[in-house]
Amino acid sequence: MEGLMAFWAETGIAHFEAGQLLMMGVGCLLLYLAIARGFEPLLLLPIGFGAILANIPNAGFTEEGGLLWYAYHVGIETGIFPLLIFMGVGALTDFGALIANPKTLLLGAAAQFGIFATLLGAIALNLVPGFEFSMTDAAAIAIIGGADGPTAIFLASKLAPDLLGAIAVAAYSYMALVPLIQPPIMKLLTTPAERSIKMEQLREVSKREKIIFPLMVVGLTILFLPAATPLVGMFCLGNLMRESGVVDRLSKTAQNELINIVTIFLGLAVGSKLSAGEFLRIETLGILVLGAVAFSIGTAAGVLMAKLMCKLSGGKVNPLIGAAGVSAVPMAARVVNKVGLEANHQNFLLMHAMGPNVAGVLGSAVAAGVLLAVLG
Amino acid sequence: MTSISEQLVDALGIMIMGMGLVFIFLSVLIVGIAIVAKFCPAPEVVAKPDVPPSPIATNQLDPKLVAAITSAIHQYRA
Repeated sequence: MEGLMAFWAETGIAHFEAGQLLMMGVGCLLLYLAIARGFEPLLLLPIGFGAILANIPNAGFTEEGGLLWYAYHVGIETGIFPLLIFMGVGALTDFGALIANPKTLLLGAAAQFGIFATLLGAIALNLVPGFEFSMTDAAAIAIIGGADGPTAIFLASKLAPDLLGAIAVAAYSYMALVPLIQPPIMKLLTTPAERSIKMEQLREVSKREKIIFPLMVVGLTILFLPAATPLVGMFCLGNLMRESGVVDRLSKTAQNELINIVTIFLGLAVGSKLSAGEFLRIETLGILVLGAVAFSIGTAAGVLMAKLMCKLSGGKVNPLIGAAGVSAVPMAARVVNKVGLEANHQNFLLMHAMGPNVAGVLGSAVAAGVLLAVLG
Repeated sequence: MTSISEQLVDALGIMIMGMGLVFIFLSVLIVGIAIVAKFCPAPEVVAKPDVPPSPIATNQLDPKLVAAITSAIHQYRA
C-alpha cells in the first residue's frame, strides 16, 4: 500500500495545476494548427509539443539538467540556433530579383516602420494598468513586426529573455497568418487599377553580381552597423556558399540537414518557454495584440511606399509588391502574387515581389541591429 | 506618468533614428548594387543562332512532292 501511495504521489494526475493544464491546451492548439491547418508546421509542431513537455509536472524537462533546459541554454540563450537558421535562410535565398531591381530595397526599408511604430505602441501600452514594459521589452516585442522568426528570437534572447516564449509564438503565428492579415490591408490602400499594373520583366543577373552582393552587404554592415553582424554575417555566409558554386556540399547542408536539425531543437526550446508560470500573464495578451498591430502597420507602410514609387515612376510599379516588404519569405510574395492575379488574370507578380521580400529580411536584420546597438 | 511620457519621447527618438538608419543603409546598398552592375557586363545570352533551320526546312517541302511521296508509300504498302 505504501508503494502505491508513493507511485500515486509521482503521477501526473496528483500534481496537475490549472495553469499547466491550460498551457497543455495551448500546446494542443498549436499542434492542431500545425497538423490540421498546415500553419507553419515546421515550427509550430515542435513548439506545441515542447509546450506540452514543459508543463508536465515532475518530469524535470525544463529544470536545470533537463533536455529542454539544455536546448534553451545552449541554443537560444547564446543566440546560436537563430543564427544557424539565418545561415540556412541565406543559403536558401536567391537575391537575383533584388539585384535586378535594387530600388525594391526601399520597400523592404519602409515595411520596417511596423517595428518602430510598435516600439512606440508598446511603451504607450504602459498607460494601461497592469502593463510594465521596459524599453528593451518594447524593442523585443516590436521586432515581431519584422515578420522574421529567427531575428525575433535572436533579439528577444538578447533584450527580453523572459518574454521570449510569447514573442516567438506571436512571430510565428502571424507569419502563418500572412495570407489572412495582409490582403484586406493591401486592398484597402490600393485601387483595382493600381493592382492590375503589369511590371516589366526583370533583367538577367550575372553570377559575379550575385557573388559580390553578400560580400558587399557584410562590408557595409561592418562599416556602419557592427551590432547587426551576427545576423547579417551568418546570412551572407549562407548566401555566399550558395552563389559561389564551389561549396555545393556545404550549401546543401546549410539548406537542408543543418536547418532541419536546428529547427527541431529551436522549436522545442521555444516551447519550453511556454510554461504556465511564464506564459499565463497579462503581458502575453499585450504582446499578441502588439504583434498583430506591428505586422499590419509594416504591411501598410510597404504598400504606401510602393504607391509613392508608382507615382514617381509614372505607373511602372505595382503598389502591391510593397506588402512583401515585411519579410515572411516567401509567403508574403505569394500573397502579393495571388492578390495581383485577382485584379488581373495575366499579372504574375511573384518574381517582382521576391525583391522587396528578401529586402525585408535584410531590413529587419538591420532594424534589429539598430535596436541592439541602441539598447543592448 | 512623467516617466511614461519621457519613455515615449525616447521611443519616438529611436523610431526616427532607426527608420533613418534603415533607409540610409539600404540606400547605400542600392548605390553599391548599381556600381557593381556597371562593372559586371550583363550575362551573355547563350549562343542560340545557327541551329533552328532544319525543322523549318522540312516544313518548306513542296506540298506536291509530299503528296507524291505519300501516294507512293500507299501504293507500296497496298
